[in-house]
Amino acid sequence: MPDTPRLNRPEHRQARAGSALIAPAVLLLLVILILPVAVAAILSFSDYTLGRSGIGWVGLKNYADIFTRSSYRKMITATVLYVLVTVPVSVALGLGAALLIRSVRIGASFYRTVYFLPVMASLLAMAIVWEFALHPSLGLVNRTLAQGCGTWLEGWPWFARGCAEGFPLWLSDRDYALWTLAFIGIWQSFGFNMVLYLAGLTSVPRDLYAAAEMDGVRSGWARFRLITWPMLGPTTVFVVTISTIRSFQVFDTVEALTHGGPAKSTYVMIYAIYEKGIAQNLVGMGAAITVLFLGFVMLISVAQRRFVERKVHYA
Amino acid sequence: MTHRFSARQTLIHAILILGALIVLLPFYVMLATALKSPVEIASGTGGLFGAQAPMVSEDCLMQGGAEAACLTRPVLDNFRQAFTKAPLWRYMLNGVIVTAAIFLLQTLIAVPAAYALAKLKFWGRDAAFALVMFCLLIPVHAIALPLYLMLAHLGLTNSYAALILPWIVSAFGIFLMRQFFLTVPDDLIDAARMDGMGEFAIIWRVMLPTAIPALLAFAIFSVVAHWNDYFWPRIVITGDRSLFTPPLGLREFKGDLDGTFYGPMMATALVIVTPLVAAFLVAQRRFIDGITLTGMK
Repeated sequence: MPDTPRLNRPEHRQARAGSALIAPAVLLLLVILILPVAVAAILSFSDYTLGRSGIGWVGLKNYADIFTRSSYRKMITATVLYVLVTVPVSVALGLGAALLIRSVRIGASFYRTVYFLPVMASLLAMAIVWEFALHPSLGLVNRTLAQGCGTWLEGWPWFARGCAEGFPLWLSDRDYALWTLAFIGIWQSFGFNMVLYLAGLTSVPRDLYAAAEMDGVRSGWARFRLITWPMLGPTTVFVVTISTIRSFQVFDTVEALTHGGPAKSTYVMIYAIYEKGIAQNLVGMGAAITVLFLGFVMLISVAQRRFVERKVHYA
Repeated sequence: MTHRFSARQTLIHAILILGALIVLLPFYVMLATALKSPVEIASGTGGLFGAQAPMVSEDCLMQGGAEAACLTRPVLDNFRQAFTKAPLWRYMLNGVIVTAAIFLLQTLIAVPAAYALAKLKFWGRDAAFALVMFCLLIPVHAIALPLYLMLAHLGLTNSYAALILPWIVSAFGIFLMRQFFLTVPDDLIDAARMDGMGEFAIIWRVMLPTAIPALLAFAIFSVVAHWNDYFWPRIVITGDRSLFTPPLGLREFKGDLDGTFYGPMMATALVIVTPLVAAFLVAQRRFIDGITLTGMK
């Protein structure tokens, strides 16, 4: 065999091609994703504003503000409440819808299509539609509720109060605004969870149910508790993670419908980053919230990866 | 044997139908409002389609039109206003340009990288893959502020570049394509090399055709995300209407008209939402498979 020059041997050609092909991606990942994280971390210790030359270092002041000032405490409360309501409800509804759809003999694909529609539609557009539907006087929701007045529904104290004093203003009432946004969030996302659960359900082996039946597992609830739920473990871990990360990032509905109000009751973190860091040009503060936010999100992802590596099979 | 119309089945359908009504409620409101006259909207009458009685368009009169020239039907007036009060076609075109450019660039960058990670041996491959896995943890929306500052320093805000650049490298796209390429047999690549194909030709003419399902799934994922994205365009586009994407245009409409022109606003919403919803209805299986595949990373 003739002696090929060192650089032309196949493995060297491969090595050069490999580095060349991966280089653009690596470079862009570093510049577009890693560098901004570093920039945010550095600026979070400053009082930098865009357009002013020079930069003042303020140490941990921005972080101290987050944990002591009441508006930022409200921000964390609003974000955590939103996530704690939206995630369990949208995961449960996703699972419930998937199980029901699997058990109907006709119409399964119709229901699946309908429930998935909100995932496709622009959330901003649908938020604006919901705002109109929830309009105190013109909206379909309060108009429909008002038709229930004078019927047996008035036996429900909340309803009777609505008939007497008017139904809630939903988005401009501080007691209702966050729940209304959470409702829109759930409405938009549970179809996505349903589709993931439908995929998860197809991978549960049929013979498990037959085997359980032989062992005397008769009721539907027992079948669910002993087979379906454990076998869906990996799907659930994934669905919970992705729902959590997405609901942490809620912005469209807040910006278009409530601007974080009333009384900061819907002042979620991404909106705060936008308002402080960009609209008000308080970059240092926005950067500190960004770092905190990244911390939350990465913690959730890392927890999920740990969980998956340990193979979530309760069976 | 349970009967086809057992009580149990009826109950399940009742629950699912109730759920479907709630899910469809805003779509109904959007459609009905886009079709009706201001009077019908204000009084909550007219059902889904409205009476479509001839009416004189207030907006047309205010623009100085003669009464006879302003006689129109509610649905026509709503859509006319949607397209004339704001450059809605321009917004839609911008949406197409931005989503297409993002997807093409993502593919151009992710596919060679994924091929290298899956099939080539080179120094630093494990480190590069670790970087991709780490970047999967960073949501681009979360780092919007530093990205915005970087673009502002480069003088790039209010440009197509600002709308597109932050998204051109998708860690998820690289990861997804790599997983697919791993399943392609090495023999196929060796045969192509024997035929004298270079690595570049192998990527686009041998590897990519095998990964069409993955690429299609990624395309659906990418287009849906960026057509509907509102947060990022909101940050980098300030004021210059000719760069607005569809969601920004609708938001501007709402802000401008102080929410009183519901008919034209809902017509605008309908125009923005329709392309993806229609595509989904036509190719449901593909969309659902695509979203599931990209969801189950």
